[in-house]
Amino acid sequence: MFQQVLALIIIAFFVARLFWQKQKKHIGASELAFWLVFWILAALAIVFIKQIDILVASLGFSGTGIEILFYLGVVILFYFLFRFRLRLEKMERDITKIVREISIKNNSRFDSEGGRREKK
Amino acid sequence: MKKKIFCIIPSFNEDKTIREVVGAVKNYVDKIVVVDDASDKDVRGVLSDMHFITVLRHIVNRGQGAALSTGTEYALRQGADIIVHFDGDGQFLAEEIKDVIAPIELGEADIVFGSRFLEKKSQIPWFKKNIIMPMAKIIIKVFFGINNLTDPQSGFRAMSVETAKKINIEQDRMAHCSEILFKAFRGNFRIKEVPTTAIYNNFGQKFSGGLKIIKELILGKLIN
Repeated sequence: MFQQVLALIIIAFFVARLFWQKQKKHIGASELAFWLVFWILAALAIVFIKQIDILVASLGFSGTGIEILFYLGVVILFYFLFRFRLRLEKMERDITKIVREISIKNNSRFDSEGGRREKK
Repeated sequence: MKKKIFCIIPSFNEDKTIREVVGAVKNYVDKIVVVDDASDKDVRGVLSDMHFITVLRHIVNRGQGAALSTGTEYALRQGADIIVHFDGDGQFLAEEIKDVIAPIELGEADIVFGSRFLEKKSQIPWFKKNIIMPMAKIIIKVFFGINNLTDPQSGFRAMSVETAKKINIEQDRMAHCSEILFKAFRGNFRIKEVPTTAIYNNFGQKFSGGLKIIKELILGKLIN
């Protein structure tokens, strides 16, 4: 019981901070919505942990509800990490495209007329 | 009609060799494009009195593949007919450019790769020749199903303008060699290998570089 209350207090702190960040315009509406849903689901999991234990046992898992949630959390984290890596790679390619265009537009041309032309 | 030949030379901190390389290459091509990939050394300054080349500079370092792609894009916009890729570290012999472009000029090939393992004696370090390169061939075979090239990692190549337009280099770093190879085979271009000589002043790509290439190829496949 104590652990559940403590966990809910921590979640409440994070949710409050979330709204503070939205107020300061550090995050957008979609970001707020995403994390709000996440924390609400986390809070529900904590409140109904005993029911989750029963559900998990009925599905044939040997672990407790909290352990299954933990493993699920790790899988989800790895999935997000994978998605972020792909996104990062895409951003790297976009940066290269921008750098390319800048270099071609700003090229210094050395020609036979002598001297160095100013950048175009 | 004589074909306009562009040579793209990517350069990163090759201030000690680039001038000599450019001086040698100029006898065999119509235009030289040096792409300075945000070198810390003054590559552009070293070339400042060479009034026959174009120097493009990346404002941030993007990798050899990106530099080659930039140079190739520039060459396409300038009306090139044949595009040669040539290293700026003095590893290749400029006089062999004519051997590499000959099959394209004769209409026998769309893309030509120089091979360090055909006929000519190249001074390749033992570890690179007997461990790294065979592993590279295995990786190329596993990833792309290509096993009939003797030197899949060669950086000395030439291609027709039609081929260059279709082979869009997307790999910024060292996986571009494999990518060009794969796209050349997938596009059913006429591919040829010719013997070229390699002179090693340093080791070149290390084993860890090979691991990075695998990572880049995997990410590239997932994105596409």
